[in-house]
Parts: sequence; structure tokens; C-alpha cells
Amino acid sequence: MLIPAARPAVLILDLLMALYFIVWSVSQIAMGLFAVAHVRLHQLRNTRRARALVVRMTSPPLVSVVAPAYNEQLTIEESVRAMLALDYESSEIVIVNDGSTDDTLAVLTAAFRLVPAPLAFAQPLRAAPVRGAYRSMSEPALLVIDKENGRSKADAVNAGINAASGALVLVIDADTILERDALSRAVLPFLEDSTTVAVGGTIGIANGCRIQAGRMTDISLPKSWLARFQIVEYMRGFLLFRLACASGNAVVLISGAFGLFRRDVMIAVGGYDPTAIGEDMDVTVRIQRYCRELRRPFRITFDPNPLAWTQAPEDWRSLEGQRCRWRRGLHQVLWRHRGMIANPRFGLVGLAVLPHVAFIEGMGPLFEMMGYAVVTAAAVFGVVDWRSWGVLMAIAVLCGTAVTFVAVLMSDVVTRKYMRRGDLALLIAVVILENCGYRQLNAWWGLVGTFQSLTGKGGWGVMKRKAFEGT
Amino acid sequence: MMSGLADLDRLLQLMLWISVAMAVLAMCATVVERSAFALLAARRHRIEHHYEPVIRRALAGDDGAERVLAVTPPTRRLIVASMLITPLIDDRDPQRIARTRSIVERMLLVPLAERYLQSWRWWRRALALRVLGLLQIREQTPALIAALDDADADVRAAALDALTDIRDPAALQSIVVRLHDSSLQPARRLAALTACGQDIERFLLELACVDRVNRLNYARALRLCGSERARAALSEWVQDPRPEVQAASFEALAHVGLDETSAALAIDGLNSDVPMVRAMAAHALHGWTTSGDAAVRLAEHLDDVWIVAVRAAHSLQTMGPQGLATLQQHASRTDLPGVLARQMLWEITALC
Repeated sequence: MLIPAARPAVLILDLLMALYFIVWSVSQIAMGLFAVAHVRLHQLRNTRRARALVVRMTSPPLVSVVAPAYNEQLTIEESVRAMLALDYESSEIVIVNDGSTDDTLAVLTAAFRLVPAPLAFAQPLRAAPVRGAYRSMSEPALLVIDKENGRSKADAVNAGINAASGALVLVIDADTILERDALSRAVLPFLEDSTTVAVGGTIGIANGCRIQAGRMTDISLPKSWLARFQIVEYMRGFLLFRLACASGNAVVLISGAFGLFRRDVMIAVGGYDPTAIGEDMDVTVRIQRYCRELRRPFRITFDPNPLAWTQAPEDWRSLEGQRCRWRRGLHQVLWRHRGMIANPRFGLVGLAVLPHVAFIEGMGPLFEMMGYAVVTAAAVFGVVDWRSWGVLMAIAVLCGTAVTFVAVLMSDVVTRKYMRRGDLALLIAVVILENCGYRQLNAWWGLVGTFQSLTGKGGWGVMKRKAFEGT
Repeated sequence: MMSGLADLDRLLQLMLWISVAMAVLAMCATVVERSAFALLAARRHRIEHHYEPVIRRALAGDDGAERVLAVTPPTRRLIVASMLITPLIDDRDPQRIARTRSIVERMLLVPLAERYLQSWRWWRRALALRVLGLLQIREQTPALIAALDDADADVRAAALDALTDIRDPAALQSIVVRLHDSSLQPARRLAALTACGQDIERFLLELACVDRVNRLNYARALRLCGSERARAALSEWVQDPRPEVQAASFEALAHVGLDETSAALAIDGLNSDVPMVRAMAAHALHGWTTSGDAAVRLAEHLDDVWIVAVRAAHSLQTMGPQGLATLQQHASRTDLPGVLARQMLWEITALC
């Protein structure tokens, strides 16, 4: 009796779920169109001659590359060599050893002949006490700040920004491998438009690539399926949503792995917040808020080219920790800046981007997992037949596949990264398989992260690092 | 009831087909785009492989090779032109530019660039301007100057790039006149000025005499291309009532160097109420060792706000024995100025 009565309700839920997937994929594909327009314009503007402006300038702005390092002994030397090999001469490298318990400082000392040196700097941003400063006898542009552990990346970055002398600060992770022309590409928008306050860049996944002397020498798809799934996932994240936001000056996330900021603006917004879980999104939204409240022209832009490479977790535990943390960070940012959501005062950010983030990114996993659970239970108990269940699952997989293919297409247009013989077949397999389990698992982690946000549980998590290949 | 459920079911089926269509279309688009790119890349590679030795010989002065390039089929002409012209972005050797120009002229690419200048597509106009600039085709300088008034900002930027590359003395005046044109990108404006070198200084100084309102821009320009000739004017501008003009003038004086009069003005500038003016006055005293009390006066500013203290410390670092002694006096302090003094002393011994 109960079963026939519940059938219409479950079918309607089934339909709503299917509608959600279609609306989600259509909105992502529409973002792809905005992203294509942004990329095309970027390619027409950023010609080699246009970029030569940066290299030819007699007094380009000094850029301080700030990299916080906590227990990075395996990758730190390679990363610093990549920073020193940048084609932008007017730069200083500020490595912040955030109370590492491994040999990070010793590795740096041996590799770059570090010696203790007096260093004076004002401290406009709050950070844990600095224990000492080190200068390199072989690389004059390298500066290492040794500080007590501040229990957050934000604290270490703030210490680095305090010590930075540049008008622009590039914030990266210590294990980020920079493209040689990353800085000259990222600095260009600041030179071309004085209202530019921040520039983000696409991050590539370094797993499976060969790195020599701090340079990416060979780009290829990794052997691990988990890393391969993350590659297409990054393509989706960076090349659809963020580029679409960039086309409307509405970027709300500049990745912590690569972000170039005006130092005075960073100080004006109070730097990174040590209590923020997603400190990179938090600071980007605060910059948006600050600039929009001032009602002065400003620009936050995004370079579609991969400017930096980072290691993706290759074990399930690290990945789970990372994804739950990202989710908690997202909820925290949305809650802190809830006044901006649907607020016309904040333009496109308030009216479109943050509502999208809140309802599609924030609530999506909740809705998706609930739908899977209810429809599966209904099929098990015979409320609906397995065919209806299969149709819904097929819609979920096909919509995800369509969006991911659009992201791969975008990646091809922008970067031509994985163009070897056999890469296309492998990418097709990765795209399909990613949507048959991995994406659903991500939604589950999203749900766990949401639960952790509500209960106030969960930590930073530990990512297993390994040395870059070819080093 | 049953028909309602059947409708829902049919709707679900429809959604399934929509999803299938989206997935298949997206996959096909990816495969087709990749295949098309691979074919085009292979074609380009073949053309490059074929023409690379010919271009090398033509640039070395081989007339036969130049004749081969001159009769390049139209379908290959743009790729060959790109192979010839792109290296000129980094290699500004006048001989190479002249050889390339001669080859490009024989390939009848200049009329094509002229046609592109009239195109309704902004990127074609920008491309044509950049090519004309890189090849230093000075007959086109008036067209380049005219493009500074183009409706599109990217074309105006390309025109500035082209004027930077063409280095035509006939364009000097136009570049100086545009110094205050806010529709042009400041960095590119300054790059064009710098490319003209010190030839432009005379124009700047003449214009600045009659145009007091825009002194700030002139001072900023002289910071890049000024010489001793500009010192007198800059010494006058540091007394301008506008603090931003004072600061920019002191910064330019740091570039051109001081004499007794301007040094005295810089020392006076240390008393300004505006921190940026004090900072730039301290910066202007960089390396000044002639008059006695500069080091003492700078030392007083080690306790000033941070931007002034840093500039003062850096200037003291360059002041020889006087600066060294002053820094040593402060090095024993335990506060921030003490650390700053120790940092400067450490840099003198360890890095220099």
C-alpha cells in the first residue's frame, strides 16, 4: 500500500535529480562559452610582442615570490631552483620555513649556502614570531625566513608578505613548480592596466611529468588513475568556472598555488586569515569586497595558461582529507561573506557567482548524495523499477562526461598539453571513468566535509609528498 | 494518476536522450578539434621544415633563396612570414632587420600589412602595426602615429609597441605629446619613451616649460630617460606645491644624479610633511658623499615611518665611510632601526 503511494514522489525526485544534472551541465557548458571568449581575447592580446614589454622594461616592478614551507624537504630544492630560473629579473624569493620538523631548512642551507643575516621589516600583518632570517651566499635574490609554526599556511604567507620588498607579491606553495615565463606573463596585466590588483593562473598537475633543474621538461599523463582523474577535474575547475568568472571581473578564487597580488591591497585587506580553512578563496573574496566597497575601478584577472604545476595526492587518504578540507573552507567562506550573496552592491560577484557557488558547489553534493540514496533505496524496496534507477544514473554520468569533455576541449585550445599519440584515447577513458564513481565519491567527501563544517570537526590533513620525477 | 506517471517517465527518457546528445557532441567536438589541430600542426611543421634552410640562406644574403621566398605560394606565405618576423621580437640586430625587410618586401607582404591596417578586425590592425614596427618600415610611421587614435585600446597599444620598435626620430614629438594621453597604456607609453633614449629629453624639457600642469608625467618620464641636462628643471620641480610632483622629481633626481644645489634641496626635502616625499628625497641622496651633513640628516630618518627609514638606510649604505660610520653608530640598537642598520652593514660586507 505504501509502495504505490510513494512511487509518484520518488519519480518526481528522480525527475528533479535529472533536471539538476542537466541544468548543472548546461550552466557549465555556458560557462565554457564565456571561457572560450575570454581565452580567445587573451590569445589575441597576449602576443609574444605584447609580452616582450615586461622583459624589455628598464625598471619593471619588483616582485616578491612568497613560498611558505612546512616539512617540504623532498621538493623544496627543486622548487626554489625553478623560482630562481624565472625569466623575470626583478624578483626576490622569500621562503618561509613555518617551523618545519623535518630537514627543510637544512636542505635549503646546504643547497643555497644560507647564512644567518639581520633582516629588518615592518610587520603590518600579524604572524607567529620570526626566529631568524637567512640569506644565500650563492643566490642574492633568495631570502629564507625561519619562524615558529603558526598552525596555518596563512600565518606563514603573512610573515612572508611582511618581509617582502616588492610592490607585487606572488604567493605560491613551496612544492609549486613555476613555468619559466610565469612571472612575466602574470606581471603583464599590472603593467597594461594600473587598476589590476590580482592575477591568478591555471595550475597543472605535475604527477607523471619530468622536472629537471627546476624546469618542466616533459609533460605527460601520470600512471596513477587517481592523479589522472584529478587532471580532468582541475581542467573542469580552472578552465570553465574560473575563466568564465574572469571574463566578468568576478574571480572569487585565486589558487593558493599561484596568485600575484598588489602588496598594498593585500595589506589593506589584512592579508590571509589564519582562521580561514580555505584561505585562498577567503582572501580573494575579501579583495573583491574591499575593491567593490571602495567603488574604485579594479581588475582581478586570470591567465588561462598553466603558469605553475603542483603535486596532486596519489593516495585516497590524502585526497579525502584535501577534499573535505576544501569543502569546509568553501562553507566557511560562504558563511563569512553571506552578506554578499544576492547583494546587488557586489555586482556580478554578488548576483551570480556567489549564488552559483553557494547553491551548485555548496549544496550540490548534499542534493546529489541524497538523491542517489533515496532513488537507490526506492529501487531496492521496489518503489521504482531498476530501469528508472538506471536512467537516472546514466543521466548523471552522461552530464558529467559532457561537461568534462568540454573542459578537455578548452584545455586543448589553451595549452595543448597532452598531445602524444595515445593521449586522446586515454583522456576519453579517464573522462568516462571519472564520472563513473570518482565524481560520486567526491560528492560523498563533499557531504562529509559539510557535516564536518556543521560539527566543527576535521583538521588540515596530511598529504604524502614525494620527490619530483627526474630530479 | 497512471497517465501522470507515464508522462514523468517519458520526461525522464527525454532527459536521458538530451544527456546522451550532450555527451556525444562534446566528445566528438574534442576528437574533431584535436584531429584538425594535429593536421594543421603537421602541415605547419612540413612547411617550416622546408623553408627553414631557405630562410637561413636568404638572411645570409643568398639571392637564389630570396627568389624562392619571393614566390612562396599564398597558402604558405603567412607561415613563412611568421618564421621571418617573429625572431625580430628578441633579435633587434639592425642588419637582420634590414635583410628581413628586404625579403618581406619582395614577398609583397607590405601591401598585405597595409590592407590589414584598414581591416575592421582590431586584431588584424594590431598585427599589421606590430609587423611594420618590427620591420622598421619608416614610410609607415605616419600610419603608426595615426593608429594612436584608433577606437580600439589594443590597437593603440600595438601602435605604441610599433613606435617603440621603429625608433624613428620623426615619431619623437608624437610620443612626447601623448605622454598625458590616458587612453594609452602608461607602461607602453614609457617603453616608447625609453626606446627613444635621451633624444627625447630635450622635447620633454621644452614642453615642461610651458606645461606646468603635467609636470608629474614629465618627472616620471625623466626618471627613465633623463640626464644631467634635466637636473636644473627637476631641482625647480621639487619645489612644486604638489607632493606627488615633488616625490617624482626627487625620484628622477636619484636617476640623473645630484649636484650641490639639488643635494641641498634633497636634504630640505627630508623635512617634508609627506612621507613619500621624504622617502624619495632620501632616495635621491643615494651615493651622495660631497656635503657633510647628508649622512647625519639621513640617520635621523632611520626612526621615521618605514618607507622613509628603508630609503634612508639604503642611501646611507652607498655613502662610503660617512654612511658606514653612521650605520655603525645605530647598529648596536635593539629596535627596528638597529636591525635595519645591521642589515645594511651585513649587505655591504657579505654581498658586495
